[in-house]
Amino acid sequence: MKPFIKVRGLEHAYPLEGGEWVPALQGIDLTIGPGEFVALIGSNGSGKSTLARHFNGLLLPTAGEVWVEGLLTSDPRHLWEVRQRVGMVFQNPENQLVASTVEEDVAFGPENAGLPPDEIRQRVDEALALVGLQDYCTHPPQMLSGGQKQLVAIAGVLAARPACVVFDEPTSMLDPPSRRRILDTVRRLNAEQGITVVLITQSMDEAAIANRVLAMHEGRIVMDGPPRDVFEQGERLRALGLGLPPAVEIARRLREQGLALPPGLLTVDALAGALC
Amino acid sequence: MLIQVENLAHTYAPGTPLAHAALRGVSLQITPGERVGIVGRTGSGKSTLVQHLAGLLKPTSGRVLLDGAAAHARSSAAQRRKLALAFQYPEHQIFEHTVLREVAFGPRNLGLAKDEISGRVSWALEMVGLDAEVMGARVPFTLSGGEMRRVALASALAMRPEVLVLDEPTAGLDPQGRRELLGRVARWQEEIGLTLILVSHDLDELARVVERVVLLDGGRVAADGPVRQVLSDGDLLRASGLDVPYPVALLQALHDAGWDVRTDRLLPQEAVAEIVQARGMGIALGGDDVRSD
Repeated sequence: MKPFIKVRGLEHAYPLEGGEWVPALQGIDLTIGPGEFVALIGSNGSGKSTLARHFNGLLLPTAGEVWVEGLLTSDPRHLWEVRQRVGMVFQNPENQLVASTVEEDVAFGPENAGLPPDEIRQRVDEALALVGLQDYCTHPPQMLSGGQKQLVAIAGVLAARPACVVFDEPTSMLDPPSRRRILDTVRRLNAEQGITVVLITQSMDEAAIANRVLAMHEGRIVMDGPPRDVFEQGERLRALGLGLPPAVEIARRLREQGLALPPGLLTVDALAGALC
Repeated sequence: MLIQVENLAHTYAPGTPLAHAALRGVSLQITPGERVGIVGRTGSGKSTLVQHLAGLLKPTSGRVLLDGAAAHARSSAAQRRKLALAFQYPEHQIFEHTVLREVAFGPRNLGLAKDEISGRVSWALEMVGLDAEVMGARVPFTLSGGEMRRVALASALAMRPEVLVLDEPTAGLDPQGRRELLGRVARWQEEIGLTLILVSHDLDELARVVERVVLLDGGRVAADGPVRQVLSDGDLLRASGLDVPYPVALLQALHDAGWDVRTDRLLPQEAVAEIVQARGMGIALGGDDVRSD
């Protein structure tokens, strides 16, 4: 399979006050295939967001290369096309909304791309339908809940028809119902639209819905596998400053008490099912 | 410091088409040394309430008293200084150009001696798990989301308040960062008898730290009671747009399947003990409270 994102020998450093540099990525080699659903976990400062910002050229390598569908992000001639292919959704929806109605906000990208009005209309309607906000076209975004604002931000990204969306902790500011709605949307975009998803999260429970989990530590990728394999390694995750999904943690403690439970119980429902 | 909230109402943009009643008559009292969690879905009024505690908003009606003095009154500056609030969005409070200067800002404003200021800054950075040597010179806006949040928390801690109000303190922190931060704050709370008010969506985390939970829904108090009681009430929580903690969800699923288990067990180790007992394995388990981490 042709890789969607290919990263070779990627390094990135940030400046300190006084002219020194602090390394954030120290040699990343990574391939993400089209249609994958990848969760990116790691402690604060491990380099998750820095890495993800290389996927659409928001950051450019200090050393090494990043290709998106064969386009080198550091080639200025490709930057526009790279950004069309990979959209980014950030943690705080308040900082991502710019217009006075939902549809204007979603239209912002396509308008800037200079698309004809019919095309813009079609893309806005399509994007709002994908996130389930088609009835909110004329609402002012500031009147929406945090979760709805985040859905508007996602629709704004989808209106560019990206092949891949990077979600950088999209739920950490949201309450449980909004969180569920965002995650359902993310899952649907991947499963039904075939959109490649990179989900950065501090919630191991959220990471468990991906098909592949990457764990980062000090600017390197140190674990890479399906959730059931990665979350079997509790000790290792703890050493990385991470943890287990709650159901996996309870299952681990039950096994310590001598209960025989099958591996790969990632959710409370699965654990309850195995116990009954 | 005694906190009294009496019939507090707050309407944003009153008299305009955007008028929005965020609080509709909230009454509660928080006594010195309590550990209280405030929960509720987005828009339930949590953040508005804590901003009133910090004297940042003027009540539309009702009042908020800090040791008997109105929280928002100019004359209550002395009381307000005893209460520190760390905001939900750290970027709303951070403005200095190095981490050290940011954390020192509050103590400097208190007119403290240089030694005292630098002592407090190193202590506060250590409490939030940041290395002063490595991080002190960093420019706050080049920090990761989790690091920025730690800086905001350190700034609140450096005030050495009697009342510490943390609005979603662990959103965006990594799991170990969450455990350590809450562990340190909880130990410090016990040591000095701090009043700790935590606003959080993460009920599993709250269950480890607080003893009392105030549940807000639609700007009103929907429940106010012991943590075990409020956070195991599935019907109440779901009606208020929240989820029960994971251990409670598991025990409820087992209970529904006919198991003889109590469902008001909020921590993983408590749920495990309950399941083991129901299975007749009868092994007593030691707890590992967040304080012993």
